[in-house]
Amino acid sequence: MLTLSLYVVGILFFVIVAANSVLKNVEEKINVSVYFKSDVAEERIMEIKKDLEKYAEIYSIDYVSKDQALDDFKRNNADEPVIIRSLEEIGENPLLASLIIKANRQDQYQAISDFVANSSFNDDVSRINYSKNKEIIAKLNNIIREVKKVGSSLAVIFGAVSVLIIFNTIRITIYTHKQEIEVMRLVGASNMFIRLPFVFEGLIYGLIAMIIATGMLFVNIKFMAYYFPSLIPSQDLVSLYFNNLPVLFAIQAGAGMFLGIISSWIAIRKYLKI
Amino acid sequence: MKDINIKEEYPEKNENREPEVSPASTRDYNHSSTRGGAIIKFDHVAKVYKGDFSALSDINLEIQEGEFVFFVGPSGAGKSTLLKLIYAEEMPTEGEVYFGGKPISDLSRKKLPYHRRKIGTVFQDFKLFPRRTAFENVAFALEACGAPGPEIMEDVPQILDIVGLGDKMEKFPYQLSGGEQQKVVLARALIHKPLMIVADEPTGNLDSTNSIEIVDLLLKINKLGTTVILASHDREIVNKATKRVIGLDNGKIVYDDAKGKYKIR
Repeated sequence: MLTLSLYVVGILFFVIVAANSVLKNVEEKINVSVYFKSDVAEERIMEIKKDLEKYAEIYSIDYVSKDQALDDFKRNNADEPVIIRSLEEIGENPLLASLIIKANRQDQYQAISDFVANSSFNDDVSRINYSKNKEIIAKLNNIIREVKKVGSSLAVIFGAVSVLIIFNTIRITIYTHKQEIEVMRLVGASNMFIRLPFVFEGLIYGLIAMIIATGMLFVNIKFMAYYFPSLIPSQDLVSLYFNNLPVLFAIQAGAGMFLGIISSWIAIRKYLKI
Repeated sequence: MKDINIKEEYPEKNENREPEVSPASTRDYNHSSTRGGAIIKFDHVAKVYKGDFSALSDINLEIQEGEFVFFVGPSGAGKSTLLKLIYAEEMPTEGEVYFGGKPISDLSRKKLPYHRRKIGTVFQDFKLFPRRTAFENVAFALEACGAPGPEIMEDVPQILDIVGLGDKMEKFPYQLSGGEQQKVVLARALIHKPLMIVADEPTGNLDSTNSIEIVDLLLKINKLGTTVILASHDREIVNKATKRVIGLDNGKIVYDDAKGKYKIR
């Protein structure tokens, strides 16, 4: 049972790590694209870029010229001949030059977008594109929050049950060692001398549960990585597991030993008359 | 007036042991004592177990240092309870038990083990570890108190020699007779060089020859200065020893004879 609760803690931890990695991935793709009217000169855009770079909220600004935009567009739609042909049909480059702005923090995009919309060079701006990824991020954040909620309550429930079970086990051990304990007390063994073996027992249970839970999680991850290789873009599940193994181990060991010691201590308090 | 000073009379080998009785408590003791030298004093002690079962009521008695005392009486008279109050297995419901002038109820849980090291206990059912040899059983009492290895190696054979089991140290309890097992228990009780031996029906499981041997050993130990308190309903050994006999019945002291016999009321 303790294994199970640690297993849940492990899964919880891992899902959060994985979701965060996805989130980071998506966040990297988020930006505010400011498209300029086709008659605005490149020098003017560079001027605006320089102007914007002064703001602390802005992490980076990339200039994408009309030609570059066209190249990108052609590359992205290379396997759709209809689009390419219609581009050729038009003859001139229909795409607009743009500035790709990245913010330091995710919550600053709205402000940047608003700022550009109200700025002095607004007349030169054709449109501002933001909100493409906004919903995805909001959704992902929501999922993480939900997972955390469900996972923690599961961990708490399993944790409570495992405390009860270890408590019971220790109680039985205390009962079976009744005579020994009695003799220890009669010969004047110090309280710690009597208690420590039981605390130690609880601790061992915690450690064993931790090892099993970590192993189980590994098998699960392997399985997941094998059957759903594209579950997380740009990240291999197994390597994600190994990258986070020390932290995972520390959390599991800490939780396991804590639960083990707590439950044996309660049992000792209750049944080990000293 | 003889002062109780545990430290002086029993030089301590082990620094873990209870620090000496403080001057303040000795003064208290002198004040409350009428005769002095009482190692045990029961002051209006009553013990009521859960379920309103009254085991002892209004017990007043003093046991001097170096005395040999029999507690006799039918089963359920309260002998065992009385002994348990001495080694702090139970606490009195009313009144106070003093050990060396100090109220036992003042001992914190931490200090209880040190109190028990001053009292060796012997029981009818031996309470030996079946999977440990005689040597290991005795050594355990020292290990449990954190005694160093060399001390254990030196003291244990010595004490087993005293009880006459020098040649049976490596025997397991099942390889020993009842009398020999009880001697191991006695050795274990003595290993801390206690001020007092408390024996609850030590001969209850033994035939008369072995019983006499055990009591003789206890008498010998007593002669060397250790107070011995022995609960028994073995009339033969009580009468033979001609020591102080305290009769209990229904949780009350019914007689207290300095050179008593086992009486039936």
